[in-house]
Amino acid sequence: MHQQQDGRLALLAAGLALSGAVAYVLAASRLRRRGDRWSPLRDLSFTAGAAGLVAAALVAPPGGPFTAHMAQHLATGMAAPLLLVLGRPVTLALRSLPAGGHRALLAVLRSRPIGVLTRVPVAALLDVGGLWLLYRGPLFAAAHERPWLAALVQVHVFAAGLLFTSVVCALDPLPRRPGTVARSAALVGAGAAHAVLAKLLYAAPPPGTGFGAPDLAAAAELMYYGGDLVEIALAAVVGLRWYAASGRRLARERRRGARAEPPASASYGQ
Amino acid sequence: MATPAASQRPPQPPPQPSRGRPLRARTAWSGALIGVGIASFVDETVFHQLLHWHHFYDRSTPGVALVSDGLFHAFGWFAVVIGLVLVADLRHRAALVPRALVGGILAGTGAFQLYDGTVQHKLMGLHQIRYHVDLVPYDLTWNVLAVVFIGAGAGLLLGAARSPNSASGATS
Repeated sequence: MHQQQDGRLALLAAGLALSGAVAYVLAASRLRRRGDRWSPLRDLSFTAGAAGLVAAALVAPPGGPFTAHMAQHLATGMAAPLLLVLGRPVTLALRSLPAGGHRALLAVLRSRPIGVLTRVPVAALLDVGGLWLLYRGPLFAAAHERPWLAALVQVHVFAAGLLFTSVVCALDPLPRRPGTVARSAALVGAGAAHAVLAKLLYAAPPPGTGFGAPDLAAAAELMYYGGDLVEIALAAVVGLRWYAASGRRLARERRRGARAEPPASASYGQ
Repeated sequence: MATPAASQRPPQPPPQPSRGRPLRARTAWSGALIGVGIASFVDETVFHQLLHWHHFYDRSTPGVALVSDGLFHAFGWFAVVIGLVLVADLRHRAALVPRALVGGILAGTGAFQLYDGTVQHKLMGLHQIRYHVDLVPYDLTWNVLAVVFIGAGAGLLLGAARSPNSASGATS
């Protein structure tokens, strides 16, 4: 019975991811027909993220049970959110929704809960704190027996990963624009907590479970190095955004300098 | 009245953007970031992955060492990316000081290696350099090499601070 319910929830998740991708591509093509520029790389990134979610929901990864679980978590909590965020879905929605929908989305973005959730420490704590609760508390063992709780955990892992990635990348218009330093600190802090948790898992399974040592070791190393890959990608996004902003600042300074600087002969005339 | 002023401008070359003010301190810091990143990358690939000298986690590591290691591990990847972006930006501003960059990289590499070899491996009791061998020659080589890197880096940084016009961007 669990299996059946699991299967139905997985199909639902895959269906949601798929319809998200279809909606994205439709909205992007509508934007292009209107004459807006919207890079096809964004479509590619978003659909790849959605495909990753579909694969994580439907395909059982190879390896021991805990390693397979970890691969799914990496896909839903880190890799897919990054690919989705790179597609700038909120920007696309704001540009392509009709006036009513646009206003509604803006109201949601400006609402108090979103304002609290998109604070850097809150997003980081929800993401990594949730992982610590899952793997160092009794939650993992409890979710093992209750499919609805397991589904809830998966939803949280995805939602918290998406929130954290959006806040660190700051590509979409968020209610507050946290600075580069705060986002960098959150990234390094979360990366460290992730690495420490991976090493602890290497030594001891989540309480109440009895995974084999080789399975545990493989899962921990997958978590550690997989997390590294996504962290490097996130650091590259933060760095390149800073580089672009610094270039714009430089261009502005030069324009201002060119305007303010009087011609060489002017000083003699005074 | 406006047109004569505008016509006076052409003979003057546009404000030369490629002759930026050399930003020595910023160059040195970006070098240090890259250096820390390189040291942590070499540690991870050569000693953990290729030689398998270091253990992923040897189960006897105390919590504080694990946290320190995790923090430096996460910071290492971040540092190398941000350091490279900073160098790109300095080049864009033609404010890069090559000698300060190399000095920063050497000092950063050495400083991280020394911290790893003394505080993390010895004081905090993180995994050792190698197992089932006499550790003294390994520890000595590791830390002496670190000090040599720091010395060479400091020498280059001092040299860069003394020479007045050493900024160079895309053109030398």
